[in-house]
Amino acid sequence: MAGNFWKSSHYQQWIVDKQDLVRERQEDLKYLTEEEYTKVQIFFANFIQVLGEQHKLRQQVIATATVYFKRFYARNSLKSIDPFLLAPTCIFLASKVEEFGVISANRLAGSCTNVIKNKFGYAYSQDYPYHSKHILECEFYLLENLDCCLIVYQPYRPLLLLIQDIGQEEQLQTLTWRIINDSLRTDVSLLYPPHQIAIGALQIACVILQKELKHWFAELNVDMEKIQEIARAIVNLFELWKGFDEKKEIAGLLDKIPKAKPNPPVTAR
Amino acid sequence: MDAAFKLKTQNERAKVEDLFEFEGCKVGRGTYGSVYKAHRKEGNDNKDYALKQIEGTGLSMSVCREIALLRELKHPNVINLIRVFLSHTDRKVWLLFDYAEHDLWHIIKFHRAAKAAKKPVMVPKAMVKSLLYQILDGIHYLHTNWVLHRDLKPANILVMGEGNERGRVKIADMGFARLFNAPLKPLADLDPVVVTFWYRAPELLLGARHYTKAIDIWAIGCIFAELLTSEPIFHCRQEDIKTSNPYHHDQLDRIFNVMGFPQDKDWEDIRKMPEHNTLLKDFKRSNYANCSLVKYMERHKIKPDCKAFHLLQKLLLMDPNKRITSEASMQDPYFSEDPLPTQDVFAGFQIPYPKREFLTDDEEDKNDSKRQGQPQQSQNQQQQSQNQQGNNGNNDHSNSKRPRLSGTNQQQQQQQEYHQSQQQMMFNQSHQQRY
Repeated sequence: MAGNFWKSSHYQQWIVDKQDLVRERQEDLKYLTEEEYTKVQIFFANFIQVLGEQHKLRQQVIATATVYFKRFYARNSLKSIDPFLLAPTCIFLASKVEEFGVISANRLAGSCTNVIKNKFGYAYSQDYPYHSKHILECEFYLLENLDCCLIVYQPYRPLLLLIQDIGQEEQLQTLTWRIINDSLRTDVSLLYPPHQIAIGALQIACVILQKELKHWFAELNVDMEKIQEIARAIVNLFELWKGFDEKKEIAGLLDKIPKAKPNPPVTAR
Repeated sequence: MDAAFKLKTQNERAKVEDLFEFEGCKVGRGTYGSVYKAHRKEGNDNKDYALKQIEGTGLSMSVCREIALLRELKHPNVINLIRVFLSHTDRKVWLLFDYAEHDLWHIIKFHRAAKAAKKPVMVPKAMVKSLLYQILDGIHYLHTNWVLHRDLKPANILVMGEGNERGRVKIADMGFARLFNAPLKPLADLDPVVVTFWYRAPELLLGARHYTKAIDIWAIGCIFAELLTSEPIFHCRQEDIKTSNPYHHDQLDRIFNVMGFPQDKDWEDIRKMPEHNTLLKDFKRSNYANCSLVKYMERHKIKPDCKAFHLLQKLLLMDPNKRITSEASMQDPYFSEDPLPTQDVFAGFQIPYPKREFLTDDEEDKNDSKRQGQPQQSQNQQQQSQNQQGNNGNNDHSNSKRPRLSGTNQQQQQQQEYHQSQQQMMFNQSHQQRY
C-alpha cells in the first residue's frame, strides 16, 4: 500500500502525542529512568537489526518490524511480553506483510539462539528460552495489539524523492539513509509522519557534510518546528548513544525491566 | 508472556461464535477456506454478513497481505473488511465482511442457462455498462494505491443484493493482491501461477516476470466480453493444471483464435518475452489469418461499430503498453452514451438472480466432483462451488423499486462514514482511542 498516507491507519491511529507516549510508559518508568528506557529501546532495535540481517532481510522489512515493536510497547509495558520474544515475532510478521516470504518460526527461534550466543552474550547469559510455538502464539497477540494496522510508511521512499529534487547527491543520500536507520532507535516513528522524519534526517546529514541547502529547506512546504523536533530527537540519541557502553550496561538494565510472569496469579481458594 | 496480560487481552477479545450466528450457513468453499452467511446474535442489526474462515491455521502470507491491505483500502467498489477474529484455541483466523448476495460468475451462468432455454433474462439496459464502470472504478482506486488485484475473474466480482448498497459492485478476493511499487522480490517468484488461465493476459502466458496494471485490465476486458456474450471469450480446456510454467500453449492458441496472431507492429516488445522462441516454434501466423475480435464479437451479435465494442478492443489490446488504463477507460464515450450507468446496477428493477444457497458437506463433495466448465486452475481454486443454482424458485426478492440515482450519494456517504467507524475497531473498542 503506497497510497495516501493521510488516509492510512499509520496516520490516523499510530501518530501519537509525546505526552500520551510518556503516560503509557509510566508503568515501566517505575523501574527505569527515561534514559535507561531509551537505552533498552536502542538495544532491541540493534537486536532486530542483527536478526533481520541474519535472514538477509531488506532494510524496509527490518524497519517495519522495528516499528511494530515500538508500537506494541507504546501501548503495553515491557512486562506484558518479553521483548526477546516480541522481537523475532515482529520480524516474523513483517516479513510476510512486506512480501519477503515466510521465514519459518523454527529457523527464527534458532537464529535467536545463535545471535544471542555469538553477538549478545554480554546481555543475555542464559540459553534462549523460546521456540516456534511461542513465536506463533505471540504473533496473534501482536496482530491484536497492532489492531491489524500492518502497513507502515517509512521515510526511505520520501528520502529518495527529496534527493531527486536536490539533484543527485550520493553521499548525502547514503548518510541520510543511515540516519533514518538510526532514528528507529528513537520515538520519532511514533510521533511524526515519515516524510518529516526524512527531512529531519536530511537536515542533520547536511550539517555533518557541511552542505548549504538553506534555500532548498526554506522552500519546502513543511512545518519546520516539527523538523527541528525530529532533528533534536536524533541528535539527542547520538549523544546518549555515544555515552552508552552497551556491553557494560545492558545486562544491568535488562535485569531492571519488569519481567513477564508466565504463570497465572495464584488466586485464593 | 505475562499471564495477567494474557488474561486481560482474553477478556477483551470477542469470539466470533459469541457474536455471530452462522451454523449451517456455508455459502462458499475454496482453497482459501469457507465463507458463511452470518448475522449478529444480539442487537437489532439484522443485516447479513459474510464470515470467511481462513483455511488452515495461523497467519499465512496471503492472509497477512489480505488483512494488511484491506485494513487500508476504502472504496465503495472494493470489499470492506469489517473485523478480524483470531481464535487462539484452534488458531483459526476469521474475516468479517459485508455480505454480497450475487457475483458475476453466478449472474453469467444464469444468463447462459436462460439463453440455452431460450428464455431471455430481463435486465436493465445499462446493467453491463454499470457493472463495467464500477469494476473500473474499483480497480482504478486499487491501482492509484499501487495495489494489483492479479486474480480478476467473474467469481471475484461481487454484487450486493437488497439493502442500502443494492446493486453495487464489490471487488473481492484480494488475498494475492500485492504492492507493485518497488516489489521486494520479482512477483513471479512467489506464486508462479496465479491468474485463472482464461483471464490471463498474453504477456503472462509468454513468461512476463512482473505483474502490472495492464494485466488486471486484460482480465477486465475478458469479463466485459463475457458479460456481453455470456460466454468466456478465451474459454480453453485445461488438463495440465499443476504446471508452474507460465507458458500455456492451448490458452495462447485460444487467444489467437479469437484475436488473430499479433502483428509485429502491434506488439513490438513481444520479441523480448521470455517465451518468444517457444511461441515462434509452436505457432504459425497463417493458422490465424481469418481470426479477429471483430469477427468473434459479430458471431455473438455485437456490432463492431458500437461504443461497447470500441472500448472492448482497447481493453483487449495484446501489447500491454498500448492497453488502455482504468482511468482512461472510465472517460470512454461508451459511458457518456445513453443509457448511462447507474449506481444500482439493477437500476431499481427486480433482481432476477437467485440468492446463494447453503451448502451441506455432502453437497460440497458432490459439487467438487461435478465442477465442470469452471476455471480449474493451478491451485485448484474452487471459489464457485455452488453449482446447483439458477434453476429453482428460490427467488425471494422484494419488489422494492428504487429511484435510479436520487439518494444514492447520500447512501454512499453514509456507507463511507460507516466504514470509517468500523475502521477503528478491528477487534474491539478497548484498544482504541487510548491516546
